[in-house]
Amino acid sequence: MDLSLETRHEDGHTIIEVGGEIDVYTAPKLRDKITELVGEGSYNIVIDMEDVDFLDSTGLGVLVGGLKKVRAHDGSMQLICNQERLLKIFRITGLAKVFAIHGSQADALAER
Amino acid sequence: MPGRPTRTADEVRVSIARDPALVRTVRLVAAAVARRAGRDEEFVEEVRLAVGEACALMVGDGSSGRIGSDDAVTVAMALDEQLQVDVVATGPGNEPPGNVVLADVNGIEPWALLRALIDDVKVVHNGATTMVSMAWPVG
Repeated sequence: MDLSLETRHEDGHTIIEVGGEIDVYTAPKLRDKITELVGEGSYNIVIDMEDVDFLDSTGLGVLVGGLKKVRAHDGSMQLICNQERLLKIFRITGLAKVFAIHGSQADALAER
Repeated sequence: MPGRPTRTADEVRVSIARDPALVRTVRLVAAAVARRAGRDEEFVEEVRLAVGEACALMVGDGSSGRIGSDDAVTVAMALDEQLQVDVVATGPGNEPPGNVVLADVNGIEPWALLRALIDDVKVVHNGATTMVSMAWPVG
């Protein structure tokens, strides 16, 4: 399954709804999307990973890189993820403490 | 040389060219082999992730300039009293961690996920050949 990226703006945030697999092949597409959004001035990004089937360290690297980009502009990057198999990856790499991970878009948008 | 699965009595072997697009093929084969072990889906997911991760590290993301090289990445999966998976790559750029391919990416140490996932993982460098060897108990 390839990577799908749907972007919309809501309540001062830019939401990227990601679907498919984030791996060594597809992660550059997500990286490019984040770079594009930050270049356009979107510094508060929510990445909805509910439809992500797979995530490897390349994808984690892209997410961390995106976090660094928005923080350089005093922005934020929040993740939406309820899948235990993905949450486990964030936990064992210590990134669960780095990212704000929410259970729903409503929770993420409520974060200020 | 895109995914060419072959099978003997006790081993499945897949050889792919160094193209990131082909790593998914190996993950699918790894999941199928893991499923034969008769364990739960969490185990299958762990094997799929670990094998994909090892292959991704060997193939690289394109920044190494190795894509399209003739050096294949070979994955051998044997299911017996344990599930043994060996990922082998030969060619320039497979020296021990620290080179361009294996350097940190945005603070993510490439081998960290593999080491955290599996208790039994070894990385052996022999000249231009690197082998990631992983094993899981079965049964």
